[in-house]
Amino acid sequence: MAYSEVDNVSGYIGNFKVTIRKKARYVDEKQCNACGECAKVCPVAIPDEYQMGFSSRKAIYIQLPQAVPSSYVIDMKTCLGNNPIACAKCLEVCEKKCIDFDMHDEFVTVDVGAIIVAVGNDVYDPTELDEYGYRSYENVITSMEFERLICASGPTEGHFVRPSDRTTPKSIGFVQCVGSRSQKRGNPYCSNICCMNTIKDTVLLKDHYPGIDLKVFYMDIRAFGKGFEDLYMRSKAEGVQYIRGLPGDVEEDPKTGNLIVTVENTTTGKIEKHEVDMLVLSVGLLPRKDSEVVRQLLTLSKTSDGFFMESHPKLKPVDAPTRGVFLAGCAESPKDVKDSVTQASAAASRANIVLAAGKIKVEAITAHIDPDLCKYCGLCVKVCPYKAITQTDRKTKVPAKVIEAACAGCGTCGAECAFGAITMRHFQDNQIYAQIDAILEENSQNKVVVFACNWCSYAGADFAGVSRLQYPATNRLIRTMCSGRVNEDFVLYAFRKGAPIVLVSGCHFADCHYINANRQTVLRVERLWDQLEKKGIRPERLQLEWISAAEGQKFALVMREVEEMRKKVTAKEVEFTKQALAPKKKEEPKEKKEAAKTQ
Amino acid sequence: MAQEADFKCLRCGTITKLPYSPDAELQERACPKCKSNSMRRIKEQKEARAAK
Repeated sequence: MAYSEVDNVSGYIGNFKVTIRKKARYVDEKQCNACGECAKVCPVAIPDEYQMGFSSRKAIYIQLPQAVPSSYVIDMKTCLGNNPIACAKCLEVCEKKCIDFDMHDEFVTVDVGAIIVAVGNDVYDPTELDEYGYRSYENVITSMEFERLICASGPTEGHFVRPSDRTTPKSIGFVQCVGSRSQKRGNPYCSNICCMNTIKDTVLLKDHYPGIDLKVFYMDIRAFGKGFEDLYMRSKAEGVQYIRGLPGDVEEDPKTGNLIVTVENTTTGKIEKHEVDMLVLSVGLLPRKDSEVVRQLLTLSKTSDGFFMESHPKLKPVDAPTRGVFLAGCAESPKDVKDSVTQASAAASRANIVLAAGKIKVEAITAHIDPDLCKYCGLCVKVCPYKAITQTDRKTKVPAKVIEAACAGCGTCGAECAFGAITMRHFQDNQIYAQIDAILEENSQNKVVVFACNWCSYAGADFAGVSRLQYPATNRLIRTMCSGRVNEDFVLYAFRKGAPIVLVSGCHFADCHYINANRQTVLRVERLWDQLEKKGIRPERLQLEWISAAEGQKFALVMREVEEMRKKVTAKEVEFTKQALAPKKKEEPKEKKEAAKTQ
Repeated sequence: MAQEADFKCLRCGTITKLPYSPDAELQERACPKCKSNSMRRIKEQKEARAAK
């Protein structure tokens, strides 16, 4: 559906309900034959966004030559309309009578089994990089603007001219990594496409204008794809000069409009000045600004660079953490055309598996709610990262219910429920309590209880092991699917049983395998710190750490550090903790209730 | 300018200012000195009293 937006998404894998807003075009797309008479009479002229402002468009326009459907659309923000100012010239000339100023947005709801997210990307705006003079000098343009100027359907019909005087430039400089690979300005990641884009542009220019002088200023050239190195060599063979070093300053010669580029050539170690007619800034890629809306609609998670996070970088690179949702193209990371097509094909195939199966296999690691114990508080609904728990209603006493197809088994709901109404079908409460008992049964003073997330810190422990990294044997791990599974009472129980130190560890924020379940871990640990302090117990005895599967060294280091902390906890302190946290006489300890329930 | 608050590292005891806003999304925090994630916000006394 062209010219439409997703307004709402509900449901789960195999049963998504998507509400789409079909935006009003004010032109009947079925009737319009794109004759263009309407645009000819339209009095409005504004910069054409598609042509990067190098040409103008009318208020009634076709967004790009290859638009599907090939039908005009009215931009109501700029249209003079027919009320209150009577323009409506397009209405008068349209023989097909397909213009309708009273058209409204329509909402369409469709049932879908799987969703592919292909939101694309934005590009970096180099205005903040003062040294390059973008916006100050007319002949400094971005690589996106270059694409329009060299394009046959562009504003100059492919005749490459420089903006200041419309003459064909005799020399062009390209600056790489603009907004990429910088810790200070722009983004720290490599934008993946810029090197090859520039190499392609240089080959293209040399084909069109053999005598042109081309210089590429770069940090390093990353030509790693199939055939890419060959193209790089071809570019060099055709006489393109590659200068290692990024310009520190660009100045304009006011008489000629030429640009003087000052650069430290890091190969020779000398400061050089190069005069070029035009400078092209190879701008990096950014995540889409409005992708946050999609993230919220589909409960996706983002990595620290702002792109959507895949379910697993190696084993499930096109799956989103939410089952039934797949990622394609730059939604996941900066990609070139080939990688985007590859990922899109993979996403389509993965989606087709869901659709063709007809049934969804659910792993038996889901939550179960006992309706008799549910007190309709709705906390589980709030913390579920997958929206897999249906809304409760206190008034009509509707208990919470788990949609098992949507539940991923993180256990966050189980940790949040204060009434014992939620049982996880795996790593059950009584099993975890039993592990704590076993760890602290003997020499509890010498033990550190570690709750480790299955995906990250537990895997980090494995990695430390296979890497032969030493860490103290006094640290005892209890595996949970997610750190969000760690109930506050597990920690308090461990302290009651004499644990000198408890460590809760999970995935880094950007790596949470359950979207954002580990945020609940932080909230619980913060509550526990307050609670411990209130009872006169040092909050330092509860530690929190994010350790990824690849951080075996960090795991071993943290284990050594908490062991050092353990040595400083006195027997007297542990005894005081036991008394301070002992349940009041009438109150039955939660773990006993749990044990009774499971018997 | 982003809001900040004082945080105490429960590993090495370092007190430092880190971005914090009650309405903002939770962020991963690490001690600038020892890199521990056990960063506890030092609450204002009034706030602590109100919480009680």
